[in-house]
Amino acid sequence: MSAGGSGAAAEAIPQNKIIAFGVVGGLIGIYAAYFLVDIVGSYMSFIGALGAICGMVWGAASVRRVASYGLGTGVPSIGMLALGMGVLAATFGLAVGGVAGPVIALVTAAIIGLMIGVLANKILKMGIPIMEISMTEIATAGTITIIGLAIAMTGTFDFPVVLSQVITTGYIAVIFIAGGLAILHPFNACLGPDETQDRTLMCALEKGAIAMVVAGIVASINEGASGALTILIGLAIWYIGFSGYYERVKRDAYAVVGTGLLPTKEELE
Amino acid sequence: MEPLTGMGVLALMGAAATIAGASEDLESDVGSQSNPNSQVQLAPQMMYPHRIHSKAVSGEPPSNALMCAIGGTTASVLISTGASAVLALAIGAIVAAAIHGTYSITAYMGRSASQKRFKQPVYLDVIRSHTPVIMGYAFITTICILVVSYLMVTALAHPFPLPLLAFIWGITVGAIGSSTGDVHYGAERQFQNVEYGSGLNAANSGNIVRKAESGLRNGIDNSWFCAKFGGPVTGLAFGMTVFLSGWVTAVFDATKGDAIGWVSVIAGVIIVLMLILWNRNIEVAARAAYGPYKEDEAEAEVAA
Repeated sequence: MSAGGSGAAAEAIPQNKIIAFGVVGGLIGIYAAYFLVDIVGSYMSFIGALGAICGMVWGAASVRRVASYGLGTGVPSIGMLALGMGVLAATFGLAVGGVAGPVIALVTAAIIGLMIGVLANKILKMGIPIMEISMTEIATAGTITIIGLAIAMTGTFDFPVVLSQVITTGYIAVIFIAGGLAILHPFNACLGPDETQDRTLMCALEKGAIAMVVAGIVASINEGASGALTILIGLAIWYIGFSGYYERVKRDAYAVVGTGLLPTKEELE
Repeated sequence: MEPLTGMGVLALMGAAATIAGASEDLESDVGSQSNPNSQVQLAPQMMYPHRIHSKAVSGEPPSNALMCAIGGTTASVLISTGASAVLALAIGAIVAAAIHGTYSITAYMGRSASQKRFKQPVYLDVIRSHTPVIMGYAFITTICILVVSYLMVTALAHPFPLPLLAFIWGITVGAIGSSTGDVHYGAERQFQNVEYGSGLNAANSGNIVRKAESGLRNGIDNSWFCAKFGGPVTGLAFGMTVFLSGWVTAVFDATKGDAIGWVSVIAGVIIVLMLILWNRNIEVAARAAYGPYKEDEAEAEVAA
């Protein structure tokens, strides 16, 4: 059954590979940025945003999977839920974990996500077969997004720094919403019977790059992180993402025309 | 703060909020965002392909929260480097509008491409003509929300930082635009071809008006229609929300003592009660003036 209907979505890339990409890519990005900023210099902070993009692409893939079970107007809600669970888990993990903070945050997110998934299926009786696993995935992807973007803004995930430069200053709001939209928008934008996985994920890459650029804007006033490189690399990834998305739109659409009248009755039959 | 200064700031905030509400609703109407989008999305599936923009970014609250949070973030970064507030707010709004433009393009392309089997083409001229309009409205909405948030931080000494306030006001303006303005576009504009007041019969689902006064109808035609009533009324609703919610604490300043604080709470409750009664009276008066739907009346007589 195709996406937008009421069954499992067709997948060219198996979800397990995307999970591995999200978790491994996200953690590598977060830890590489953390250590390389200390060793090499503050301009390595952009790697954190690359980790966040892995999380956002994974999140978008999970939203696509679970929302294919007929969750039309629920798509935005589920994206917001992802970042809501992510904020909780990320602040808890970073506050108690020290260097192990991101890992603790991920485990916490997985537990919260699983609990929400079980509640949705057992108590609310939503009856979506992959609800538990998808909620776990979405919460974890949201957490990677938040920590990755926070590190791109500050150059570290030390809780006192994140607290004073990201949370107290209110920039957590833009992480929340730019990360959340990067996760929920791709499937919402491509919703329909002829949706394809690679087009949706390319859109996630493009939206992730926008979140990266915004993180770069904030990084430009923090000493621990470098804004210019993050913005430049973000713009380059955005270009790759947008042209890749447009290529796939041209491939998938009935027709991409400069202008024109509506299809005639004969054409429609 | 002097009560008079407080009232002046509040009046300015109310004015900015009124403009923000109106432009938010018209911005969503150009792209048929939010509730009316379900019919735009459904139309090709019912064999009615169209040339109406489908800006399925997300619901209006998240997409406006994104615009305003990005604008607030950029402005806050610029202000902290010493830039003037006016310049910072304007640049913030430009960045937000540009990003919103990319979101609206991917949404239109994606939704249309996913309707391949129903032969809905992607019209590039729709993107070229609608995106600048959408970005223009997005700029006005964002800068007005930033003005409201900036005044709250600087003049009213609100404890929240600028990006967070902009985010919260973004959600609010989106929610009010979605609940107030959409009715005018969705129920009245999309189904002008059925008799006024007849409701939406299931058989008419997706059968939206696709031809305009001249040529094929598009999203800009729809914003022209909504600018007559839906947009301004959304602006009034949002302006009143901002003005009245600030008015009670500006007149009865809670910082001057607990007793005055409680008076402000009571004043707020009285305003809400007055609005409920007022709304109820409008509804009763409208029903009395225009009566039940004619066919219902005839059917009722036959049944009797």
